[in-house]
Amino acid sequence: MSLIKYTIRRLIALIPILLGVMFLTFWLAQLMPSDPWTLMAGERLTDARKKYIEEQKQNWGYYDPILTQFLIYMKNLFSGDWGNTIAVLPKDTPVWDIIALKFPKTFEITILSVSIATVVGIFAGIFSAVHRNQWSDTIIRFSALVGVAIPVFWLGMILQFIFAVKLGWLDATGYQGIQYITYKTDITGLRLLDSFIKGDFDVFKDTVLHLIMPVFALSFISVAGITRQTRSSMLEVLELDYIRTARAKGCSEHQVIYKHAWRNAQITTITIVTLSFAGLLGGAVLTETTFALNGMGMMTLDAINSQDYFLINASVFLMTIIFVLANLITDILYGVVDPRIRY
Amino acid sequence: MEDVKVTNIEAKLYKPEPFEKQMSEITKKYLGFLFVPGMKSRELERRHEMLTRFKSKRRFITKLNNPLTIFGFFIIFIVVTWAVFAPLITVFDYDIEITGIAEGITPWSAPNYLHPLGVSKFGRDVLARLIWGARSSLTMGLFSIIISVTLGTLLGIFSSYQGGIIDNIIMRIVDIIMAFPGLIIVIILISILNPSMETILLTYGILGIPGYTRLIRGTALQEKNKTYVEAAKVAGANDLKIMFKHILPNCLAPIIVAFTFDIGGIILSLAGLSFLGFSDSSLVEWGTDINYARNHIYDAPWAAFTPGFGILLTVLAFMLVGDGLRDALDPRLQGRKN
Repeated sequence: MSLIKYTIRRLIALIPILLGVMFLTFWLAQLMPSDPWTLMAGERLTDARKKYIEEQKQNWGYYDPILTQFLIYMKNLFSGDWGNTIAVLPKDTPVWDIIALKFPKTFEITILSVSIATVVGIFAGIFSAVHRNQWSDTIIRFSALVGVAIPVFWLGMILQFIFAVKLGWLDATGYQGIQYITYKTDITGLRLLDSFIKGDFDVFKDTVLHLIMPVFALSFISVAGITRQTRSSMLEVLELDYIRTARAKGCSEHQVIYKHAWRNAQITTITIVTLSFAGLLGGAVLTETTFALNGMGMMTLDAINSQDYFLINASVFLMTIIFVLANLITDILYGVVDPRIRY
Repeated sequence: MEDVKVTNIEAKLYKPEPFEKQMSEITKKYLGFLFVPGMKSRELERRHEMLTRFKSKRRFITKLNNPLTIFGFFIIFIVVTWAVFAPLITVFDYDIEITGIAEGITPWSAPNYLHPLGVSKFGRDVLARLIWGARSSLTMGLFSIIISVTLGTLLGIFSSYQGGIIDNIIMRIVDIIMAFPGLIIVIILISILNPSMETILLTYGILGIPGYTRLIRGTALQEKNKTYVEAAKVAGANDLKIMFKHILPNCLAPIIVAFTFDIGGIILSLAGLSFLGFSDSSLVEWGTDINYARNHIYDAPWAAFTPGFGILLTVLAFMLVGDGLRDALDPRLQGRKN
């Protein structure tokens, strides 16, 4: 009961934050030196198109002061209209349709890389903590630091150089082979899952081959953070009295590490896993640019470059809400894994 | 005989911890007054204090003395040397174009005796640009972090010390800014302000403030309730003096650690930004160079990969030093060796 109350209280506290973020984004997007409608006026337009643009301008309060515009924007949001794309292709489609098109791709890559990173990171962290100050620990610590310090686009380029240019095993960029470009993902939107369900194993294999490099690059940098966090919290826990007690009463080393120590060390790991999941869901701009994957990150970059402000607003809003909800879920998970924590 | 005894006791006082533990109850009861510094003589007390201070300093330095941290310091030294003496140690200028037509050197030429690391776009020397790149990376990283540390610390201490509604307002603003997706908001801001070195530096500096505010506020809230603050109040110190002379020095450890880590983080993030093309085109930057050479990994991998080593090594060095500093400064890790 108290958990539900706590969740509701936290959700209410989110409202001012979200409003603040929305207003700031709206304001910043308006501050951009030009606007997409003016940019479009340079093109050769039919009369019907000109009329449409004028209608849109009136509809969104283009000639009003910024605060009025924001109020109009909010009013339209509540009636379900988040605006249409202006310059980003496909033009004149509702922004959430475009996001719904791009989000599954980002989701697929994110869920793959975060789950790989979590498994590898946790085991590497525990192993490193248990073998503290041995050579294996030094290697793991150093490679984790390299993972934190490496620029992901550079890592991506090295992968492309080795596996696409030198060995020729994989395609350097893209999400699918040219022959599968028209393949429809209409069940879940996730390419891997869809092709698996439909039984198109050629497409499945093709997608796997295209996803290996980006997923490797993303999980490499996420593993680093998870390993470091797991290692340091495991080290802290392993010093505590109940570990000595567990050993003294004759638990096996496996039990001591996984039942007594890891159970208590996992809280900080949960935090970093959920936060990196949320961060990647917002679109890994650099990785997507390196591998030319048109997910959320490239879409947002595209929107900023063409100053398509409805799309900017919606995608920043989506990223923010994912981030704050991930924070909330982390806090709730604390109580689930550790019954000592009460709300 | 009497003299010898006194020196014995004095000698034991030099290592108080093990001695205190060994001391039996009876000794404590009957000879306890001898072990209280200052009861015997002020000279003893002074020496004891000096010794402990010296010991803690020495422990700090020994803790930094592990190979990885030293490696980090060494790389930082090299990169700083590059940044400071770039014009003196490079043979070619950073934007010189086509130097050895007679030798058959064209843009994207392979490493040769004139250009040991190869040639990149417009016939620029890769080595010269690697060395010059250190200058802009370090300058921008350092200055933006100085902006965020200074303002963040001021705000954090002020916010925690005032408490109440001021604290609430400041922390809500911090929440809002920290909820933004980082890179995206930087890109939006930079495209509003035009990418010049100053605007990028200011953007990073200002967006870094909330993190430090939150960090310092947390530490300062703990310090605020300690007795020395109360003592200072009773002694008549005003708010400013309490905030900056008493509380601030006690919050420095986490600031120093975060500072070191964040320089690395900002250099990495700036490299990403310039890789995407949002950078001052008049600057020599590693990320920009990678961006230029991106489509040439087929014919000129040297141009694409060399600047990346600059980024990787610099960031790695700051992270290594940050790790070392954290181990040396974090009181929770005292006495543990890792």
